[in-house]
Amino acid sequence: MNLLDIRNLSIELETPSGRVRAVDKVSLSIKEGEVRGLVGESGSGKSLLAQAIMGVLQDKWHVHADRFHWRGIDLLRLSIDERKALLCRDIAMIFQEPMSCLDPTTLIGAQLSEAIDTSQLTGNYWQRRKQRKEAVIKLLHKVGIKKHSQCINSYPNQLTEAICQRVMIAIALAGRPILLIADEPTAAMESTNQGQIFRLLANLNQFKNMSILLISHDLENLTHWTSTITVMYSGQFVEAGSTEQIFNKPMHPYTQALVGSSTKANLRLPAKSRLMTLPGSIPVLQHLPIGCRLGPRCPRAQQICVRAPKVTNFHGHKVSCHFPLFKETNKKVSVKGKVVKGSN
Amino acid sequence: MARDKIYLEEVFPSPFMQLWSGFRKTPVAMLGFYCFMFLVVLAIFSPIIVPYNPIDGNLDMILLPPSWHEDGDVSYLLGTDELGRDMLSRLMYGTSLTFGLSFVVVIVSLVIGVVIGSLSALTKGIKSSFLNHCLDVILSIPSLLLAIIIVAILGPGISNTVLAVAIVFIPQFIHITRYAVKEEFRKDYVLASRLDGASNFRILYYSIFPNIVERLMSQATLVQSAAILDIATLGFLGLGAQIPLPEWGAILANGLERFYIAPWTVYLPGLAILFAVVATNLVGEGIRHALKLRKES
Amino acid sequence: MLTFTLRRLSLFIFTLLVLTLLSFSLGFLFPGDTVINHSGQINTTAAELAHLNKVYHMDENIFSQYGAYLSHIFNGNFGQSMASQSPISHEIITLLPATIELSLVALLIAMSVGIPLGFIAAINHNKASDNVILSLAMLGYSIPVFWLGLLAILFFSIGLGWLPSAGQISLLFEIEFVTGIQFIDILLSDSPYKWQAFRDASTHIILPACVIAVAPATIFIRLSRTAMIEVLAASYIRAARAKGLSFSQIIFRHAIRNALIKIIRHVGLQFANLVTIAMVTEVIFSWPGIGRWLIESIYHRDYTAIQSGLLVLSCFIISMHLFIHFIYAALNPLARGNKYGS
Repeated sequence: MNLLDIRNLSIELETPSGRVRAVDKVSLSIKEGEVRGLVGESGSGKSLLAQAIMGVLQDKWHVHADRFHWRGIDLLRLSIDERKALLCRDIAMIFQEPMSCLDPTTLIGAQLSEAIDTSQLTGNYWQRRKQRKEAVIKLLHKVGIKKHSQCINSYPNQLTEAICQRVMIAIALAGRPILLIADEPTAAMESTNQGQIFRLLANLNQFKNMSILLISHDLENLTHWTSTITVMYSGQFVEAGSTEQIFNKPMHPYTQALVGSSTKANLRLPAKSRLMTLPGSIPVLQHLPIGCRLGPRCPRAQQICVRAPKVTNFHGHKVSCHFPLFKETNKKVSVKGKVVKGSN
Repeated sequence: MARDKIYLEEVFPSPFMQLWSGFRKTPVAMLGFYCFMFLVVLAIFSPIIVPYNPIDGNLDMILLPPSWHEDGDVSYLLGTDELGRDMLSRLMYGTSLTFGLSFVVVIVSLVIGVVIGSLSALTKGIKSSFLNHCLDVILSIPSLLLAIIIVAILGPGISNTVLAVAIVFIPQFIHITRYAVKEEFRKDYVLASRLDGASNFRILYYSIFPNIVERLMSQATLVQSAAILDIATLGFLGLGAQIPLPEWGAILANGLERFYIAPWTVYLPGLAILFAVVATNLVGEGIRHALKLRKES
Repeated sequence: MLTFTLRRLSLFIFTLLVLTLLSFSLGFLFPGDTVINHSGQINTTAAELAHLNKVYHMDENIFSQYGAYLSHIFNGNFGQSMASQSPISHEIITLLPATIELSLVALLIAMSVGIPLGFIAAINHNKASDNVILSLAMLGYSIPVFWLGLLAILFFSIGLGWLPSAGQISLLFEIEFVTGIQFIDILLSDSPYKWQAFRDASTHIILPACVIAVAPATIFIRLSRTAMIEVLAASYIRAARAKGLSFSQIIFRHAIRNALIKIIRHVGLQFANLVTIAMVTEVIFSWPGIGRWLIESIYHRDYTAIQSGLLVLSCFIISMHLFIHFIYAALNPLARGNKYGS
């Protein structure tokens, strides 16, 4: 069953020069127990999307969607407070730069016990304190921190980034969430620590059947740990599908460029040859192109690309492009596949 | 018919123009700015346009209430004081004293403070912390006390007051400049200039000063409002402008003895001080607000 | 923590020494004979003058003069007031506590009014209440304090008759002088009219303390508003919201503590400003404090009094700085291992 089902979510910002659409009609769906990756460059709006799902965006952003279902419940019909209550209970989020996401003047133990809901503590009023302490220690063990007493009695700036991220995951786990959104959890760490955090997340997914939405800019890294991937570019939905489909048979020129610029996909390239890149850079919010936002950079762009493409679905592999790529297979590609559809 | 603007050109205003347009968008700041300009014009031209001589009094018209009172006279718009001197002329002349001299104070202490501050920001190590602590000591002496002591050394009188208040505000500018220059020094563009081989003076003059000048300006308005208050306070205490100079604080102190029979001699100078300080503060707030807007966009 | 304390104390002592240097140099800068400025004895005979010259090491070089001056200060001998010919240390002991009392009460009022208002303004950022509070703060900052004091006397004492306008306590109560701080003295004395005296002293202190507190309160409003806005935009507040904490929980448990930490440093800096305002207010309200005494000494050209008064008042302010710095270090775990002088 689909845990989270979002259709055509848009996030707009009021600027002196008009309303700017930072995220333009993105659709996302997460099944139970799967690890989905959300890939895009910085500036592609993936963090905005995650924060919009959680409901922690600042007031200057306006969010609207066609469909926003959580476990079958239509969230758009609920009031803001009900929505927030529902989502906060079932979804948890961890952020980039974990040290700055912890209150620098409170002990870690206090911050952890804040996150523990009183409804989880059985027992009488006077037993609650002890139970809270035990629950905190248990949480720390769950994320792999063995020296819990040292951790509980220190301030965030006395710990390393990796341990802070584990603490953040522990805080997220305290609410027993069903979905964990990890917004670039390892951006500030070295690769050894990155591997540890990802392994922890994979364990949580495997043993507790917790779904994870893993947001990152590193496609290569993500392919290890995720089962499905969604690609975004400059606030628009680009491609979504299983990891194997995306990595081996990218259909969108942008995904192809992403895959092509990673070393893993190009192991057979001769030495000293160039990796494939797209010219130019991601557009800024003040100068967004109309229609498909990859248009100015895309090597296959034509005049029709000034209108935003619709999402087409090829066996669960969704693409939003007027001219998707097809890998030549043995099967004869039908004429219908050749995309010169005028009515797009 | 030819249209001259076919392509919508994007205008990229310079940072100063951005500041100015941000300033203009706030109506309260513009109001303060107009009041400020009004006071400046008054300060410059008041010796010419005062209706009566602010120093000689007309002994027939002692303690006349303001013109909206039943006993008042329209030719003496704001009434007279105990020696028959017209309040309006005294207040206008006082603008050039209190307000105008505050300008002098700010300019003098700004120049000296910025020079010393930037030179001291270049030092490092023991010299730097020594200067830092000396500055701390001077900043922890109440400014009024310091001004009073300098006036006690030099003797009362308005020029000594100006000197005293200027000396008092120099440490504040030194502190601000030191802090700002040290902060800019940590940034990478200064490092780039230094790697190019620029001397310290060049870095200061070409790279750092254009970036801190706005902060200095907003600080200068704060200092000016404090200077107006300090000059008026010293005048009130009798240490500043001597009789018969119509400095606002001195007028207020003068009218204190006859407070019950002629309260306007106390209200009006106070209102004038309030007006001048509010105008200066509004301009300062406008600058700070425009700076914030520019940083955000 | 120990190294921090030691470091801070050594800085304190260094600052005090620089202060004594400043006050020593005043003896030279003031018009008149230096030794007379130090000791305060006008109308001396030749023998007395010779004695003074010996005591203050006037014949030797400047370092030993400074040493002599310093030793006199440590012995509590500030010289005699030129106007009243009584030892200055005596006058300071009676007058300084009154100023301490007044400025501390004013600081308390300013903090308890200014800081919450600033927080409220920051939480309602860009709404109507924010603008109202900011405009009130601007107005309060711009009023000259002597004018405000006069208006307050006119309105509250003479117009409404609620509060007295001069002095520290009504002359009817005879409270023994123990510490000089009225409230403590009243509580320590065994007069049968203790509570009336307490009430009377409170009515006397309210008006001057409120007048003094206006300008610092507006500065605190601005400071706390900036600090709270900065804190509310930080990452950990966003993470706390994602954690599911309610708004009031976030404000009271996390935001206020972090915002207060940013403000406390500036409270120390504002104290000098507050004492300046207190000096003028003491003159207006005839409060028997050291500020009024200093200003009168200026009128009388009492240089010794000015010298010693400067020293004592600045020592008081610097001690308050130190105290507040310690409170800051106690609240903020990050500040304890901090670099020297930053």
